Amino acid sequence: MELEREEVLSAIHHCVKCKLCSIASFHPNEEWLPLCPSGEYYGYQAFYAPGKMEIFRAILEGEITEPSEGLLHSIYACTVCGACYEKCKQITSVELGAPDLFEAMRHEMASKGWILDVHTSIADKIEETKNAYGEKYEYNVNAETTDGDADVLYYIGCTARYRVPEIADAMLGIFDKLGLKYQVMGEEWCCGSVLFRTGQVEAARELVAHNIEEIKRSGAKTVVFTCPGCMKTFEKDYPDMGVELLHSTQFLTRQGNMNLKKEDLKAAYHDPCHLGRDLGIYEEPRAVLREVADIKEMKREREQAWCCGSGGGVKSAFDDFALWSATERLKEAKEAGAEALVSACPFCKRNLKEAAEKEELEVYDVVELVNRCLEG
Amino acid sequence: MNETFSTLVKELQAIVGERNATDDLAICTSYSRDQHWHFVPAKNPACIVRPGTKEEVRTVLMLANTHKIPVIPYSTGINVRGLTIPVHDGSILLDLSRMNRILEINPDMKTATVEPGVTFGMLQEQTRKYKLRPAFPDAPLTVSVLVNYYLRGIYQTSATDGHDHTISYEMILPNGETLKTGSRALSEMPYFRYGVGPDFAGMFCAHPGTCGVVTELTAKLYRLYDNRKEYFIGFDDVGTPTKFIYNLMNDELAASIRLVDNQSWLKGIFGTFDYPYEKLPKFVLCVLVEGVDGVFEAKDKLVRAYMKECGGQIQELPAEFASTFEHESLGGAEKSCMVFGIKGRGNYHCIGLYGPLTLAAKYYEVHEKTALEVGIPQDHVHFYIDPIYSFHGQLCYFELDIFYDGGDLKFGEKLRNYNEKQFHRLLELGIYGWFRPYAGIIEPTAERIGYLAEVWKKFLHVLDPNEIMNRGKLF
Ligand SMILES: Cc1cc2nc3c(=O)[nH]c(=O)nc-3n(C[C@H](O)[C@H](O)[C@H](O)COP(=O)(O)OP(=O)(O)OC[C@H]3O[C@@H](n4cnc5c(N)ncnc54)[C@H](O)[C@@H]3O)c2cc1C
Ligand code: SF4
Ligand code: SF4
Repeated sequence: MELEREEVLSAIHHCVKCKLCSIASFHPNEEWLPLCPSGEYYGYQAFYAPGKMEIFRAILEGEITEPSEGLLHSIYACTVCGACYEKCKQITSVELGAPDLFEAMRHEMASKGWILDVHTSIADKIEETKNAYGEKYEYNVNAETTDGDADVLYYIGCTARYRVPEIADAMLGIFDKLGLKYQVMGEEWCCGSVLFRTGQVEAARELVAHNIEEIKRSGAKTVVFTCPGCMKTFEKDYPDMGVELLHSTQFLTRQGNMNLKKEDLKAAYHDPCHLGRDLGIYEEPRAVLREVADIKEMKREREQAWCCGSGGGVKSAFDDFALWSATERLKEAKEAGAEALVSACPFCKRNLKEAAEKEELEVYDVVELVNRCLEG
Repeated sequence: MNETFSTLVKELQAIVGERNATDDLAICTSYSRDQHWHFVPAKNPACIVRPGTKEEVRTVLMLANTHKIPVIPYSTGINVRGLTIPVHDGSILLDLSRMNRILEINPDMKTATVEPGVTFGMLQEQTRKYKLRPAFPDAPLTVSVLVNYYLRGIYQTSATDGHDHTISYEMILPNGETLKTGSRALSEMPYFRYGVGPDFAGMFCAHPGTCGVVTELTAKLYRLYDNRKEYFIGFDDVGTPTKFIYNLMNDELAASIRLVDNQSWLKGIFGTFDYPYEKLPKFVLCVLVEGVDGVFEAKDKLVRAYMKECGGQIQELPAEFASTFEHESLGGAEKSCMVFGIKGRGNYHCIGLYGPLTLAAKYYEVHEKTALEVGIPQDHVHFYIDPIYSFHGQLCYFELDIFYDGGDLKFGEKLRNYNEKQFHRLLELGIYGWFRPYAGIIEPTAERIGYLAEVWKKFLHVLDPNEIMNRGKLF
């Protein structure tokens, strides 16, 4: 989203510094539940939404002319999770929200070269290998089960291909077990999400063009994602390709009765920020999960879910913070009486799983459970 | 940053830990403005220090005092009057939000002792377990309890709570000495305000700027009753409901009594923008009755009797409006901040003052008149009356509100003109005092208070001879 300077300043002036965006709705349960991971972890006002807006104002008005350590830290140690915006919206009915502003701020900063080395190195990796992890091997999809003419194309995404392949395996398993035709891209390139989220918009252009071309060529009518980050990027940063974009959980709810064998498992559902707050998909993942496990809702859920801590380039740059945020979420799941924490995003799963090594809690993506509960 | 200051930041880091002190420009900028920026322009502190203990506060203050560096205590920074925006270059902003422990909740004494970073939300979460609550301002429940009471806030949400909730506190002065007020000075029992001599708790608080850093404060708590009932009565003008308000206050019947116009605070009190408010009468009186069995029924009966003859129209409204009003009044204000959304990208300006109920209609009249004179349209003009227990002098809090687009710089100019005229007009008309003494409002006021202003200055000089405690906001 390209924002005009005046529009941005006007939105910034609108923030009244009430800091209600730092907590989940207090009433009716009267519980103090923090909502902003970066503010909660780092403490200075700069790490909360109102402080960041002030910094952006100062950049636009020429008061900040150098990329100080604090500037880079406070701006890039934000998961761009959008929790602040959702809360603010309820209170002040704003239309232009913090995540758009923060992305615009990162774009502005990146255009001045004010960017973290670790984020430029991701861009370099992408340029070289077309995936965000710089991996030189390919994630293998059994060519026999794919169908180049299928209407459905599964866009796997870098994280499910290279860091949590169990998610991609599960999704492919589901296609096979349900006997559904699908194809994957001949040459799947990174969607560009990490570049958009860290302000490196120009570097993403080539990826966008390639992926559009590939999808058009595939003739697919529906693109299915297990990664909400990729899906959000296609939805918001790509031009309309005239194809339907579906999250795995939306796709699965359309399959009717899948004959799932429900497990005796108490599972808390973690709303991924990109899936929930960005794409408004809250019900389908729950509907699918309900088929395979007993859902235990956590206190902070849906629009007011606590972020797992890995988005917005945070995982690569501030891993201690990312893992702390994930640990907070795991504790909340335990408090809710859950035996497993289930998400619907490879990025969430990766971070939560890493943090869960110390906690006694299983972490899954919803498609893994579905695959497990499907009659083979 | 100059070299001397960098050395100072190192010294500060040695006191509070490297992570908790910085002179980074971006971090400092994040503290440079509050909601009052049309009146108090942005200014950066030179560094931010985040102490975690009293001893750290003391050491920082003594260091600042030695070097005569201005210090701005900051607990949650939501004060809406530019009070934590520096006046002088080179100020240290002392962010106290790490000190956020509830030190004691004493249900037998009906008190809570808190550190500066404890917010109303944090406190209410704990006190409600004992069926107790703090006195709430109509401020977001993210504000500091300690500071709100130290600044002597206004407690619209429950008329029966009265005005002063501070019992005693502990304050560290620039020279490093600790002052304890009330019975706290004498014993481990901080539960009585008037320990020895004058009312020191009163003398050290509610200054523009501060006398020192308050590190803990003991406050009154109030009962939460299970029996509750809400009424909403419409009126077409400000004058008619005053008799009814008088009766409610005189007989001490209602926990919350708020007269608001139908386009502003009512949206927060009801928790939604989505209602045809314009169809309601121009002013709505919101009344909440509560009490123990027997007393509640008796109060409720009397309220209904007065209501019959009050000249207003009883409003039948959705049940969730009543429950939001209840939560906002007795559980901490959250939705009240919806006033910021009234004009889309909103902001609000208000002159808050104490005065007698008898002058209600006149305050409203002068509010409208001045607004129109400076070019503020009628539909931006809003009003709020909140009677305060005890009702001697028919004490009420009045708010002359204007809601506007926060990004409209020209409107900011109109507001400054409005203030210029209105402060004088209200002083001429007669008020008991301002919501809070702050830059802009205090200067024309100080001119009128005679020798008191001199004494005030001297008093502050004794406590803070080097004028480091956020001075410049007044003398
Ligand atoms: C929408 C809205 C409505 C409001 N309505 C009301 C209302 O109805 N009633 C009401 O009373 N207030 C109201 N307020 C104002 C607000 O509640 C208070 O001003 C607030 O409690 C003080 O702000 P703070 O706690 O964030 O303190 P800060 O902004 O941190 O500090 C305020 C002042 O106190 C000083 N200070 C901070 N900490 C200390 C300390 N430890 N020791 C000594 N001095 C210190 C600061 O230097 C500054 O001068 C409203 C605010 C908003 C945004
Ligand atoms: S972003 Fe919204 S909720 Fe947060 S401080 Fe600003 S106005 Fe308040
Ligand atoms: S986007 Fe998330 S991490 Fe960033 S300021 Fe808002 S709530 Fe905090």
